[in-house]
Amino acid sequence: MEHHASELAKLLTNLLGLSRHAWGSFMDGAPMSFIERYDYLLNAILAAITTMIIVSVVKKNRIPGPMQQVLEFVTTGIRSLVADNIHHHPDKFMPFIGTLALFVFLNNFFGLIPGLSPATANWNVTLALALLVFAYYNFHGMKEKGFFKYWAHFAGPVWWLAPLMFPLEILGLLSRNLSHSLRLFGNIAGEHIVAGIFFGLLPILLPVPLMVLGLFFGLIQAFVFTMLATIYLSGAVAHDH
Amino acid sequence: MKKFLTTAFLFTLATMAFAQAAGPVAAESWTSGRFLAHLSLAIAAAGCGLGQGKAVSAACEGIARNPQAAGDIRTTMIIGLALIEALVIYALVAAFAIK
Repeated sequence: MEHHASELAKLLTNLLGLSRHAWGSFMDGAPMSFIERYDYLLNAILAAITTMIIVSVVKKNRIPGPMQQVLEFVTTGIRSLVADNIHHHPDKFMPFIGTLALFVFLNNFFGLIPGLSPATANWNVTLALALLVFAYYNFHGMKEKGFFKYWAHFAGPVWWLAPLMFPLEILGLLSRNLSHSLRLFGNIAGEHIVAGIFFGLLPILLPVPLMVLGLFFGLIQAFVFTMLATIYLSGAVAHDH
Repeated sequence: MKKFLTTAFLFTLATMAFAQAAGPVAAESWTSGRFLAHLSLAIAAAGCGLGQGKAVSAACEGIARNPQAAGDIRTTMIIGLALIEALVIYALVAAFAIK
């Protein structure tokens, strides 16, 4: 797989006058500047900054204007997603889940904008997000249930099956990270590569249905990522009443 | 308006003339890694088509029986489709990784 730097990274390199040097075995030593090599970081930071700007610039009146209504729709949607799965103090977990949803959706949306590239089209970014979710729900599971009781529930229903169940459950837990990250990465990177091919074939007409599909699937994948993170969290935190 | 659209469409088609015809491509053996990876991707896509067809048909039937629950059924269907499709995506990523 090749790494094409996004146009924004190329523009910034030319504006700031950064030097391009070879990066060793990466892309056969093609000369790239620091920003071009790590342009997924640039796009991720841009998504984060855009989120902060949108959330802070919206005026919070009692009678909402259109932008505020959109944000209220998104917030109530995320809240109902979290509250349906986690019955005990859902508001504690809402900031993390909401940030995850907005970040992933904005990154998927950047795939449609000509100069930018989606940061989630890089497996490093999605693996980092999946590991973050892993650390988050394990931490909260241990905090809610206590350190030993949380790991003890992997032992299964009967105590003498524990040596068999425990390694399998731990393996399942670790493979969740892989599947969680690969799902998002594969969808976004695949769409990005196919969009590149379609732009080469027939520049104006052919990419349009693909971009519609990309927007639709980007939204769905952000939603599925968030929903799975919520389900893992609810599995870790749930109390059997 | 119609003339403008026709002209724009013809200009777009004309850009295809810049593509060059490829020369004769060497045949690749049936046991090479790349061929098998892409073939496994085709098999995965077939399985995915079957699975997603079953999921969508069950969702349609559920909505037909209970139109009021259409929103919940639709959400569950979308999640199920994304999870089934993820298996094909793993095969796609594996096909990318083999040069």
